[in-house]
Amino acid sequence: MMLQFWGSKLLQYILVLVFTLALNFSLPRMMPGSPMQLLAGEDVGLLSQQEREEIMARHGLDQPIWRQFTIYLGQLAKGDLGYSYRQRRPVGVIIGERLPWTLLLTGSALALSAFIGVICGTLAAWRRGRFSDLGTLSLFIFLDSMPSFWLGMILVALFGARLRWFPVFGAQSPFAGYTGWTAMVDVLYHLALPLTTLTLVTIAGLFLTMRYSTLDALGEQYITVARAKGMPEGHIVFRHVLRNAFLPVITVFMLSLGFVVGGATVVETVFAWPGLGRLMFEAVLQRDYPVLQATFMMVTVCVIAANLAADLLYPLADPRVRVEGRRF
Amino acid sequence: MSAARIIRSLKKNRAGQIGTALLLLIVCTAFFAPWLASHDPYERVGLPFQNPSPQHPLGTNDIGQDILSEIIWGTRVSLTIGFFAAAIALFLGTLIGIVSGYYRRWLDPLFMRLADVVLVIPFLPLMILLAAYLGPRMSNIVMVIGLLTWAGPARVIRSQVLSLREYGYVQAARSLGGTDSRIMFRHILPGVLPMALAQFIRAVSSAVLIESSLAFLGLGDPTAKSWGMVLYYAQARGAFLTGAWLWWILPPGLLITFTVLAFALIGYALEEVVNPRLRGGIIKKKCTP
Repeated sequence: MMLQFWGSKLLQYILVLVFTLALNFSLPRMMPGSPMQLLAGEDVGLLSQQEREEIMARHGLDQPIWRQFTIYLGQLAKGDLGYSYRQRRPVGVIIGERLPWTLLLTGSALALSAFIGVICGTLAAWRRGRFSDLGTLSLFIFLDSMPSFWLGMILVALFGARLRWFPVFGAQSPFAGYTGWTAMVDVLYHLALPLTTLTLVTIAGLFLTMRYSTLDALGEQYITVARAKGMPEGHIVFRHVLRNAFLPVITVFMLSLGFVVGGATVVETVFAWPGLGRLMFEAVLQRDYPVLQATFMMVTVCVIAANLAADLLYPLADPRVRVEGRRF
Repeated sequence: MSAARIIRSLKKNRAGQIGTALLLLIVCTAFFAPWLASHDPYERVGLPFQNPSPQHPLGTNDIGQDILSEIIWGTRVSLTIGFFAAAIALFLGTLIGIVSGYYRRWLDPLFMRLADVVLVIPFLPLMILLAAYLGPRMSNIVMVIGLLTWAGPARVIRSQVLSLREYGYVQAARSLGGTDSRIMFRHILPGVLPMALAQFIRAVSSAVLIESSLAFLGLGDPTAKSWGMVLYYAQARGAFLTGAWLWWILPPGLLITFTVLAFALIGYALEEVVNPRLRGGIIKKKCTP
């Protein structure tokens, strides 16, 4: 049972990866226009004859399509993500610079929104139907409807440009030469507004799920038993209900990973946060296709990795899964 | 479930009331755009970067177009894209959901695996990639959004089909020798339509939001300015660093928010009506016993 569950999960992730690879391979080759331009980017016209021949040879453009595919896979297997003719650097290096910033932003936003979502969801369910519950509920549904980039722009206008509380651009103060502790504080200071934006637009889904499943759990018989024993209400909610109501949140959490990464793309663009999302935006503007493709693949790999991690953690949260396979 | 009953229940639902009122307002704006807007949103009608004045209630943008007129006409573009993208998503979702729920043995694993794949892929980066290759045309944007958002609705509809196919009237139709396609489209389809409607409304809501993100990233159709594109230009010209954010950034974003909210509220309300398990819905007050 367990084995079957892992088998199907793994198969799913492999399929996602295969789909991503196939898409990246076929898009530049199937679209109308010169495949060389679609592979190397808009700047191909500025390249010398020798460089053009290099591109031809690199992708095997004069060879049959299946041979091109094996060349493509071979390069990926060696960790070669391509070459940006725009920036004149290997794409792998560019992505290596950007990836940590995206992980910092999305990781902290996910952690923060899960924490706030779960706590607020539990409290709202406990106080169901009262003003505090309906108020939070309306607030989060409203936040859920906002475009994340717009919320970011408003925060910049208010707390960045108007009040000057936070920096509005990038992840570090340029030319400040901070080191050690001060450099870290500087980054956190820059992180404040993008993190707030991304967290606010992510909370809603987690909050709604937590609130709903808490309401369900509150109706269970063991809660009645706990009440009958005379257990204090706060104890019941946080010791007995929370742990059981938490499970659906993990599922929603996994589903929202993709959304958060997508949200990060636009939020990073607003704040010029030097992560993968901003990189993707720059690549779109410059039609730098090698970077665009590699970024998309990298983001997908990150989401798959996060999903796998969540799958591994699920049995820790729900002991029942360990024996009988996943319970839905 | 009859249309009249759905409308009756919707009227009683607070979320449904607010949503419908908001939506009516927005649809009227889109419909009467030529009469409401004072200027042509694609014409330079004044000096660039003007502050609000009686002629230009929300000022002018970086090339001297009237921002209020841009926003009013943008309503049409945003709603059109949202509507058609959701229509594609729901057509695919309903078809796949029904077929998948009906042919449980062989098509179901295939389609549901596919849906899982679509749900795991980070869809905004994928859309950015596709839109960048396909080019910024309105039809491309509609297609890309539609083709990548069918999976959620398909799952919901499939699970309804799974229970519907065991109902007496479906079993009866089968024992009378009804063909598979007749059973699926004459007997099961009407049963899932209310749920499909709820899913459609929710899909419009997310399509409007996705479109605004794509447009903001510079992937919108330049000949059809949506709210997202107004914000793209405002961002590109640094309007949020000046006082202009108040009339250039705030209004289009609020309109996106209220449109998404309106559809989402109606969607929630419809889902409650359609799905008895959710009765009490988002504003559920009692615990399930």
